[in-house]
Amino acid sequence: MESQIESLLRELAPQVLGAMVRRHGQFDACEDAVQEALLAAALQWPGKGVPDNPRSWLATVASRRLVDEWRSDTARRRREESSASLELPVRGQAAQRDDTLALLFMCCHPSLSAPSQLALTLRAVGGLTTSEIARAFMVPESTMAQRISRAKERVKSEGMRFDLPPADERAPRLRVVLHVLYLIFNEGYAASSGPGVLRTDLTTEAIRLTRMVHQLVPEGEVAGLLALMLLTDARRKARTDADGWLVPLADQQRDLWHRPQIDEGIALLTSTLGTVPIGPYQLQAAIAAVHDEASSDSETDWPQILALYEVLERVAPGPVVTLNRAVAVAMVHGPRAGLALLGTLDADDRMAHNHRLEAVRGHLLELAGDVDGARDAYLKAARMTVSIPEQRYLALRAARLRQLAPPADC
Amino acid sequence: MKYMIMTFGSAEVALATMGREWMLEMIQFMRKLDDDLVKSGEMVSNEGLADGSQAKTVRFENGVPVATDGPFAEAKESLVGYWIVDVDSEERAIEIASRIVAFVKAPIEVRQVMDAPPDF
Repeated sequence: MESQIESLLRELAPQVLGAMVRRHGQFDACEDAVQEALLAAALQWPGKGVPDNPRSWLATVASRRLVDEWRSDTARRRREESSASLELPVRGQAAQRDDTLALLFMCCHPSLSAPSQLALTLRAVGGLTTSEIARAFMVPESTMAQRISRAKERVKSEGMRFDLPPADERAPRLRVVLHVLYLIFNEGYAASSGPGVLRTDLTTEAIRLTRMVHQLVPEGEVAGLLALMLLTDARRKARTDADGWLVPLADQQRDLWHRPQIDEGIALLTSTLGTVPIGPYQLQAAIAAVHDEASSDSETDWPQILALYEVLERVAPGPVVTLNRAVAVAMVHGPRAGLALLGTLDADDRMAHNHRLEAVRGHLLELAGDVDGARDAYLKAARMTVSIPEQRYLALRAARLRQLAPPADC
Repeated sequence: MKYMIMTFGSAEVALATMGREWMLEMIQFMRKLDDDLVKSGEMVSNEGLADGSQAKTVRFENGVPVATDGPFAEAKESLVGYWIVDVDSEERAIEIASRIVAFVKAPIEVRQVMDAPPDF
């Protein structure tokens, strides 16, 4: 019951806030008022039951809260008088959708820093409390409260308009929104082991929000991002073993993968086939789908993955894409061919501090039978990574190779 | 991304070489910096440490842990304080450190805190 109420509240949060901001302006004051209304509902509804029209209940409580705020501020008295009715106008479904979307664009405004975008989106659109967000990012609640209030001040001082961006800005602004959702997912995905069990909530939340955006904007890249999240998150249970060690894709127990999520991801992706131009999220999702479709590692369709990476490298070139392509090249044409492609990244400054270059080199050297070289590369990667599970995993790979190698002093 | 920003020094040396004015200025500077980091929503935690001369080091000797007086490293300068900040980028962490360096005119170490998300 309580979890049903919670999901209802989270679903209504952006709708109510969107309508409030549309009606009264003042994003910051409306946001506080809606949070208080959500809190009141979370306290009252489990005991008293859910009201007949929960959306209007929330809007009424939030509006009353806003009036109290105005009353305490005499300068705004005239404004209060001029807003004769606090009853929110009944708006059509399409207008409600626009409000939620406008809210999302505002929270993901390019002039906000990434941490601010993430925090504001989770609070204003996701309906999470400051304390929940603080726990998810493992910072003190006061820090997160400051970050959110600063972001809100920025929204105010920049005079950000509560509107859908004009047509010519829409595509780049949507890219920022998708990137913010991707970062929320990534932040949560990190913690399927280690100290932050709570953070797995962030993957669920990212999927929920992306699903919502996909309903509002059923476009190829939105579907692509949602599919990528579903296809990646489907492997969550298999990604770590009972002791919390990271299990690489090749060694994962595939019957632990969440089939319904894979099926949904693939169906989503299939529905976007033929969209032009095809975007990087769709391509990454397609690669994830090829992995997820293989019933064992040896049955992975590597030529298909290589072909997809070649397209991805044309659409969204970058050293990380080249790195991944090198793995596919190694699987199709042998480890030496993969290593040759990796070599082209050695001079790339953007990869100088990236542990994955060394981790992949270690893997390919191991496949090529160069035990010493592989061990050195794994150790180098272990020193460079900032992820605790990855560091343990890489150190273990290196240690295992030490046992295989002949003793040095005899 | 979280970073630890570490300052090194020695209270003894500072007391011997720096005047009262400088000390007061330094305290003000640190208060302002902490305040700014709290306001920007970047401060995770910060602490100042007692002088290294007050440290105890616990070593493993003859099969048992033994505590002795003094810091672990022989160097005169040891860790005197740190900030953990949660920032947008390494550039931002370096910017914060640079602000401290410009004031104390001594080196500061900036190191990322583990447990960032792995790539997938």
